[in-house]
Amino acid sequence: MAVSPRVLAPEGAFETESETTMAKLTIEHLRKSFGATAAVDDFSLDVDDGELVCLLGPSGSGKSTILRMIGGFEHPTSGTLRIDGQDVTRLPPERRPTGMMFQSHALWSHMNVFNNIAFGLKLRRLARAEIRRKVEEALELVGLAGYGNRQTFQLSGGQQQRVALARSLVLEPKILLLDEPFASLDQHLRERLREEVREIQQRLGITTLFVTHGQDEALAMADRIVVLRNGQCEQVDAPDIVYRQPQTEFVAGFIGSMNFLRATVEGGRFRHGDLSIALDVADGPAVLAIRPEDLGLAPAEGETGATVLRSTDFGSHIMVDLESEGGVRVKAMTSPALRFDKGSRAKLAPTLYGVYRDNRLIASGRLPASPGECKINRSVQTA
Amino acid sequence: MTSRSAPFAIRSSRFDWTGLFFAIVLTIVIAVPLLVVVTWAFTEVWRYPSVIPQQFGLRYWQQTLVRADVWDALWISIRLSATVTLLSAIICLPAAYAFARMKFPGRDIFFLSFLASHAFPKFGLLVAIAAIFLKLDLIATFWGVVLIQLVSTLMLMIWIPVAAFQAVDRRMEEAARDVGASPLRVFWSITLPQAGPTIFAAVLLTFVSTFYETEGAWLIGAPQIRTMPVLMISYINNQIVVQYGAVLSVILWVPSFIALMFARRVVSNGGFAKGFGA
Amino acid sequence: MADTAQISAHGGTQPARGRGLFGLLLVAIPVLLVGWLIIYPILAAIVSTLLVDTPEGATFSTASYRFFFSDGYSLANLSLTLWTTAVCAVLLLVCGLPIALYLRFSTSRFAAYVQGLAIFPMFVPSIILSYALIRTIGPNGTVDLLLNAAGLPKLPSPYLTPWGPVIGLVWDNLPLTVLMLTAGLGAISSSAVEAARDVGAGPIRVFVHIILPRMGNSMLVTISFAVLGIFSSFTLPYVLGPASPEMMGPFMMRTFNDLADPLNAKTQAVVSFGICLFFGLFYVWSIARNQGSRSR
Repeated sequence: MAVSPRVLAPEGAFETESETTMAKLTIEHLRKSFGATAAVDDFSLDVDDGELVCLLGPSGSGKSTILRMIGGFEHPTSGTLRIDGQDVTRLPPERRPTGMMFQSHALWSHMNVFNNIAFGLKLRRLARAEIRRKVEEALELVGLAGYGNRQTFQLSGGQQQRVALARSLVLEPKILLLDEPFASLDQHLRERLREEVREIQQRLGITTLFVTHGQDEALAMADRIVVLRNGQCEQVDAPDIVYRQPQTEFVAGFIGSMNFLRATVEGGRFRHGDLSIALDVADGPAVLAIRPEDLGLAPAEGETGATVLRSTDFGSHIMVDLESEGGVRVKAMTSPALRFDKGSRAKLAPTLYGVYRDNRLIASGRLPASPGECKINRSVQTA
Repeated sequence: MTSRSAPFAIRSSRFDWTGLFFAIVLTIVIAVPLLVVVTWAFTEVWRYPSVIPQQFGLRYWQQTLVRADVWDALWISIRLSATVTLLSAIICLPAAYAFARMKFPGRDIFFLSFLASHAFPKFGLLVAIAAIFLKLDLIATFWGVVLIQLVSTLMLMIWIPVAAFQAVDRRMEEAARDVGASPLRVFWSITLPQAGPTIFAAVLLTFVSTFYETEGAWLIGAPQIRTMPVLMISYINNQIVVQYGAVLSVILWVPSFIALMFARRVVSNGGFAKGFGA
Repeated sequence: MADTAQISAHGGTQPARGRGLFGLLLVAIPVLLVGWLIIYPILAAIVSTLLVDTPEGATFSTASYRFFFSDGYSLANLSLTLWTTAVCAVLLLVCGLPIALYLRFSTSRFAAYVQGLAIFPMFVPSIILSYALIRTIGPNGTVDLLLNAAGLPKLPSPYLTPWGPVIGLVWDNLPLTVLMLTAGLGAISSSAVEAARDVGAGPIRVFVHIILPRMGNSMLVTISFAVLGIFSSFTLPYVLGPASPEMMGPFMMRTFNDLADPLNAKTQAVVSFGICLFFGLFYVWSIARNQGSRSR
C-alpha cells in the first residue's frame, strides 16, 4: 500500500549516508493509560522506509502521546516499538535513533544557532572540523546557510522552525518525528514550510511521522494518513482514499466537509424528502454521507426539494446552503453557470455517496447525474 | 491606548501630573535621607544651623578605616554571608529542582512548610530558636549565627529557584534528551543555564540579606560575634563621632548596590513579589 | 493541547517510585532544617512556658503568662506594638495603593522612575535607614536645618517617639507592599477596566466597583505580610523608638540578652505568635490556595 517516494539526489554526506540506512518502524498493540483513561488504546502501525505518515486527529485523540512514546518521552503501558526490528520500547530518548521536532521549536535560547545544531554532535565527541562541516550542511539543507552565529531570538518563527529541523536532521536519525511543528506559524508560512519539509524529507528519504490536527497539512504532505479518535485508529490510508472512501462516519465528518442525511432504511430504500435511493443493506437506521461537490442541484417546482438559504460565489464555484427535510442543513457546490437564488427550491441529486451504520461504512454508490442538473467538475474540489 | 487603559485621568493629551507628583514626593522621601548620609560621610565640619557643611574632606574615612573593630566586623560579616550563601545554595538548589520537576509523596506540604519562616513574627521566632540554642551552647558562636541566618534564607533559596526551574520549557529539556544528552547532562547544559539568571539573583539576594541581617546576628552572636550591622548599632547608640556611622553606611551599602544592579529585574518584574504570595 | 498537559502532570521518563524516593532525598535536608529551626523551637517555646520545673517534676503552670498580662510594663509594650502595627498597616495601604494603581495603569515616562524609587528601599538595609533617619528627622537634622533656613518654626522631632519607628517601618516596607499590590492588580485585565469606562464609569466608580472587589484578597495578603514583619520588628524601633515603653522586638531582646531571662522572653514570643496567628494563617492559606491553582 505504501509507496516510498525516494527521489534521491546523491550529493553530500547527508544523502549518501541516509541512503544506506533502512528504517522501518513497527508499532504493535501500543497502549498508554493515565489512571483509568486510555490515551492510546491498542494502536498498531507499520511505517515503511522513507515513508511519511501523518497522525491526524482532534485534540485529545492521543496522536501526540503516540509520537512521544516513539521518541521515548512517554512510557507505554503495554505494547512494543521496533525500529528496524530492534526493540526500543524500554530505551530512554537519548539512546533512540529518533529525531524530534517540537511544537514550539524548543530551541535552546542560551545557545546560538550553530551551537543548537552542534550540541548533539558534541555529545558524540566528533572532531571539531567534522562538527562544523555537518552543521553547515544542515543549515544549507534548511536554507539558512550563514545563519550560524545568529542568536535564536533574532530569527523569525519560520527560521526558528527550520533551525529546529536542522537540529533534528543533523544527527541523521532513522526516524524523524514532527509534533505539530507549524502550529505556531501563520497560514502562509505554514504552507511554505510544509512544502519545504516535504521536499527535504523526500530528498533524504527519511522515515517520518508527523502529528497534526490540520487536515490540509495531512492531505498535502502524507504518503499515508492515520486518523485517530479517542486513542484508537479509525482509518489508515493514502490521503485520496481517506478523502474519497472514509471508512467510518467519524473520518467522513472529520476530513473535508460532508453532508450527513439520517434516515431509516426500509424495504431496501433510503428516503429523505423526495430523495429516494435503493440500497443493498439490511433495514435499519443509516447515515448517507455526500460531499458538497458530489451533491448536484436541480431546479425544483412548488414545495418539493430543499430551500436555498444562501448562495456564496467563490468565483470558481458557488457554495449553496440549503435547508432540507426536517431542518437538515446541507451544502452543495455548483458551477457558476447555474444560480440558485435565496428562497428558491432545489432538488438534491447526489452523484457519489457513502452509507454508514454504527460508525462503519456499509455501502457506497454512484448515481448518474440527472439531466438539467449542474455538476461541478471534480478537479476544483481539492482546494 | 494610553488614555483608555488608564482609569485615573491619565490621558495622553494631558501632562502626567500624577506621575510627576509621585516622582517628586518619592524623590524627597526616599532619596533625601540617603543623600544626607552620603553628605555626612564626606563632611569634616557641619555645625548647626548651616544648610551645607562648612568643610568637606576625607579625614573621617581614614579614621574609620584604621579602626580594628571595623575590619573585624567586616571580615566576620563577609565570612558569615559567604558561608550562609554557599550552604543554602548546596542545600536548597537540588531541593528546588526536586520541587519543580519531580513527584514525590508530601511534595506540596513540604513546599509550603518553607512559608513557616514568614508566617510567624520574625523576632519571636528568633527568640524561640535562641532558647533552643542556649541549651545547645550555640549562643555567641559563628555556627549559631550561620544557622539562624538559614532560617531567613531557606525560603528565598527554595521559592525563587523553584519558580525559575518551573519556567524552563520542558520541551527544551526533551529536545536535549532527543539529541542524546543524559538527564544529568540536560540539567547541566540546558536547565541550569536557562534558570541561571534568576537563580543568580536569588543567590545574590541571599548574600546581601545575610550581610545586613541585624537582629538574629545580635541575638545569637552577641557579644563575641559582631557583624557590621551590629557594630553600626553600637556606633549609633554610643553617639561617638557622627561621621563614623555615615562612613560605615556608605561602605555597608556597596554590596546592596551590586545586588541592585544585578537583581533589579527579577525583583521588579513581579516574580519576586509572587514568591511572597501576592 | 489537552494530552500534553496530562503528560507533564505525569512527568518524566523514569519509573515513578524510584524517582519519588530520589526527590524526597533531595528535599530532605531543607525540610528537616525547617522542622528543627522553625517548627520545633515554636512548639518547644509553647510547651516550656507552660510546664514549670518543680522538685516533683514538670507541672502545668500559666504563671509566666499571668505575669505578662498583669505586668503594666509588658502590657504597655504590647499596646505600643499594636498601635505601631495598626498605624503602619494603614499608612502602608494609603501610600502603597495609589502608587501601585499608578504603576499598573500608567504608561507614561514617569512610571519607570516611580517604580524604581518605590522599590529602592528594598536595597537599603534597615540599619542604614535608621542612621539616615536620625540624621534627617532627628534633632538638628536636615528637616530642622531647612525649616530654620526658611525662617519657619521648629517641628517636634519624631526621633525617640513612637512616630520614629512608624516612619522608618513604612519607608522600609513600602517596596514589598507596592510590589505585592502591583502583582495583585496585574490580575485585573485592562479590558475589564476599559469596559467599565466605556459604559461611563468615572475613576472612583471603576476603583470601587471593578478594582477593589478583585484585589481584596491580595490587599489582605499584603497587609498580613506587613503586619507579621512590623509586629516583631527590631532594628528600627530599637534605634528610632522610645526607650520606654518599647516595642515587642526590643523588649524580647532585652529580656533575653540583658536580663538573661529566656522564660519570659519565650512567653513574650508566644504571646506575639498568638496575636499574629490570624495573619499568619491567612497568609499561608492564601498562598497555598494560589499555589494550588497555579500548579494544577
